[in-house]
Amino acid sequence: SSAAAADIDEETQPVAKSAEDRKAAAALSKLDATGDEEAAGHVDHEAAANALSAIFGTDNKKEVKKVKVDAADVALLVEELEFSKPKATELLKAHDGDAVKALKAYLQPGF
Amino acid sequence: MDIRLLRPSDIPLIQHANLENLPENYFLKYYLYHALSWPQLSYVAVDISRPPKTPYDYPKIVGYVLAKMEEEPTDGVQHGHITSLSVMRTHRRLGIAEKLMRQSQQAMVETFNAQYVSLHVRVSNQAAIHLYRNTLGFATEKTEAKYYADGEDAFCMKLDLSFIRDQIKKEALEAGELEPTKENAGG
Amino acid sequence: MPQPLSTREANLFRSVIRHYEDKQYKRGLKAAEQILKKHPKHGDTMSMKALIMNAQGKTEEAFALAKEALKVDMRSHICWHVYGILYRTNKNFDEAIKAYKFALKLEPESHQIQRDLAILQVQMRDYPGYVQSRFVMLKARPQLRQNWTALAIAYHLDGNLQQAENILTTYEKSITTPPPKTDLENSEALLYKNSIIAEQGEIERALEHLEKDCKNCLDRVAVMELRARYLSELGRKEEAAKAYRALLDRNPDHSDYYKGLVAVLDLAADDEAGLKAVYDEYASKYPRCDAARRLPLDFLTGDGFRTSAKAYLTLMFDKGVPSTFANLKHLYSDSFKKETLPEIAEEYLQERKSSEAASSDSSKGEGAALYFLAQHYNYYLSRDLDKALEYVEKAIQLDPKSVDFQMTKARIFKHQGDLAKASEAMDQARLLDVKDRYINSKAAKYQLRNDENEKALTTLGLFTRAETVGGPLVDLVDMQAMWFLTEDGETWQRRGNVGLALKRFHTIFNIFDIWQEDQFDFHAFSLRKGQIRAYVEMIRWEDKIRDHPFYFRAALDAVNIYLALHDKPQGANGANGSEGNGDDAAEKKKAAKKAKKEAQKAEREAAERALKQDPNKQKAKETEEPKKKDDDPNGTKLAATQDPLGDAMKFLGPLLEFSPKNIEGQIAGFEVYVRRSKYLPALRCLKAALALNKDHPKVLEQASKFHKVIANALDSLSPKVQEVIKAELSGVPDG
Repeated sequence: SSAAAADIDEETQPVAKSAEDRKAAAALSKLDATGDEEAAGHVDHEAAANALSAIFGTDNKKEVKKVKVDAADVALLVEELEFSKPKATELLKAHDGDAVKALKAYLQPGF
Repeated sequence: MDIRLLRPSDIPLIQHANLENLPENYFLKYYLYHALSWPQLSYVAVDISRPPKTPYDYPKIVGYVLAKMEEEPTDGVQHGHITSLSVMRTHRRLGIAEKLMRQSQQAMVETFNAQYVSLHVRVSNQAAIHLYRNTLGFATEKTEAKYYADGEDAFCMKLDLSFIRDQIKKEALEAGELEPTKENAGG
Repeated sequence: MPQPLSTREANLFRSVIRHYEDKQYKRGLKAAEQILKKHPKHGDTMSMKALIMNAQGKTEEAFALAKEALKVDMRSHICWHVYGILYRTNKNFDEAIKAYKFALKLEPESHQIQRDLAILQVQMRDYPGYVQSRFVMLKARPQLRQNWTALAIAYHLDGNLQQAENILTTYEKSITTPPPKTDLENSEALLYKNSIIAEQGEIERALEHLEKDCKNCLDRVAVMELRARYLSELGRKEEAAKAYRALLDRNPDHSDYYKGLVAVLDLAADDEAGLKAVYDEYASKYPRCDAARRLPLDFLTGDGFRTSAKAYLTLMFDKGVPSTFANLKHLYSDSFKKETLPEIAEEYLQERKSSEAASSDSSKGEGAALYFLAQHYNYYLSRDLDKALEYVEKAIQLDPKSVDFQMTKARIFKHQGDLAKASEAMDQARLLDVKDRYINSKAAKYQLRNDENEKALTTLGLFTRAETVGGPLVDLVDMQAMWFLTEDGETWQRRGNVGLALKRFHTIFNIFDIWQEDQFDFHAFSLRKGQIRAYVEMIRWEDKIRDHPFYFRAALDAVNIYLALHDKPQGANGANGSEGNGDDAAEKKKAAKKAKKEAQKAEREAAERALKQDPNKQKAKETEEPKKKDDDPNGTKLAATQDPLGDAMKFLGPLLEFSPKNIEGQIAGFEVYVRRSKYLPALRCLKAALALNKDHPKVLEQASKFHKVIANALDSLSPKVQEVIKAELSGVPDG
């Protein structure tokens, strides 16, 4: 038993008054239905699994540049630009941890 | 005025056109449901001559047909259904409704193998009934009492789409894509 | 670990879940209570009870109970899952993701938790997370095609096109029997793959794939359009022309196809006759086609233009097409065309007069030409309102029952600045066809422009559903009638009712939230339907949904109201006394909270009493969902805000993020930030506005204001900020 199946969206629709409205309401209430996931049954399991692990094995993760960021600079951006901490950190990292560079970049029109 | 396939980004202005024109209105999600379930079937008429006021203007929708396939046909026959069709009164007499309908009907057959298309229309809506019956060839199947919220009856109308299927077959034959069988080689 | 239950109670627990799924909340609660009577600290049951209470709108109690459940059973994945669902339904998505992840740690095999997590990740655009989740799901069930497609989509959205294509190809290679031609899911997956190949810029390969693998795809239009585009991009002009002609035969009213065709025909840009011939072919082939006749008017000049325009106008007038002017007014940027079109209309009228005896039905054409001229003189580039009125009166004389003519008369009055007369005239137009909602909407709009909110609502009420509790207003809000909410809000704003104005703009803000939330169900639904291209297009659109002018206008209005509230705090609706201070407000807040709690308690007790007393009565109401009561229908609390600039930020953020090129937004942004002493964001708005229009008087005013303000404030700022501002200030004009 699991509560998961119970994840049902609550529609706050007005009670349908006409046939037309009922049709729309019925269609929308069924959107989040689950369970009709029958197997197609034509897949060669083993071949698929092998190919899959090969693919994921080669999945080169995006290289994360290691940049040192000063906590005081993060705080400065959070305060002055009203950024979230992660967003401030990201902006600083994109500018080699240089707050002045980051702030100047922020000021340029983004279009 | 331009006739083309509906895009998800058109939906707010389709909803707007519907609210301005018709008493039967729907949530944006219901339009999304159509656009994401049968994206080949719904078409819009767009006012392309309007100069944009900002870079963020969306094309103005002056007419639309919102169409679907019947999910669980009671007669077991694959068929399309017109959920909503309207054209701004400022853009009438250009045959927009007819053009929208024809594009949708064609796709119903090609993509979903629809045998026929059905729709509901207010019994008092002379102009629409004329379009469906005289221009497009629909026939009245039956009357549904009190179909609309205000108590008005609806005609349930149907159009057999086999003429489109025949046309597709004929074109395929001409293009040499189909081998003539005994039957369609004729005599 | 979930605590074990006896068979009887385990059955009861299952029935709790079932009742919840069927939205039989009271029954679900009853069953849960039965279990809790015996096992008052059964975490899973407590969680389920919390879930049901949440569905009944008792959010706070639901959270309290769910937390308690977690306390007694920290190791239950059900408790954590429910906790996640509670956060999810209350739109705290980050917390929901955390809870799901915790649940998944406890129950790594749970398909449902994994699925819920995946959906939230894509909803929140956590694409790397989504890739991870979809990978796990695919590994668990590789026999399902949608799991392959889903992982491909995840990679695609994460920007890894090559991997997306790989996944799709791997699936194709691992199926042992080819799907039938009628398999729509397969057809769409092939076209999806094709779009990914093209998106990588490999047009040659995309064309090859299209012609080989997508030959039988069921979306014919897509195949034809893609083929024409690829051929054109590859410079295979002859084939491309053929492909565009095939599209035009299908739909001769789509201008893109003409553009596509013309582009591959090697016609000189000034070869008007050659261009015209392309369109003429379709005009004669399709007598009912409008585009082939109208589009050449865009590029024709001189006598060529005059001849074609005359033919086109004659046809339109004879048919009595009301949109003729609307479809041609874009030509008015060319002064020759602006002068020629009315001349042709006059000529048409003259010719009509001389041949009047011959033609029996001349009134339609004459009316249409007069109507065209009335609109011509009403248009801002060729405005002469007296003449406009003269023409429209003539048209009305000819056909007094024409709604279109009467409508234009109202518009002329509006341009004359007489809103009352305009509203009256539009209402007369409405009376000419009371069964038409279009003219009803226009009449209501004009009433709003004339500051008649109440009257407008009555007018609109003729078409809204009569039985909606709360009347036309509630129906219009339910149906997300943006145009009405905007106009109504602006009218209240003009009338000085800040509360109602803010109320409408907040409602619009909330509808955009709903529109964003609307995509939620489709993450799973679209995979089941297999219509992947449409789904991806929807995702891209939802990403920037608040760039819509519907949002911009309402948000800008709201920001401006808040600015005014800050500059001159008013006793809006008597709710906010001018002497009101912080302590007072806090006191009020406290009292309101207490009252709300008491009301909730009373409601709860009443419900419980009802449940005990009359078990039959619940049936009727059982599945009816509670509608949350609006505790501020008139916006009194909104107008009483102690922090108008803070409230403005909610509207301003998306405005600047999604419509940065709209100068009005940047101007408003500057005003808010400068008042909040946020100098860098203020400077950013200013620089953006200057980049958009360096001569805009308001922007120049803001520029010199900034120089003054910053001169006083600079010393108080941190050295780094000072350095940046000093460096950037040189580009800002002063004085």
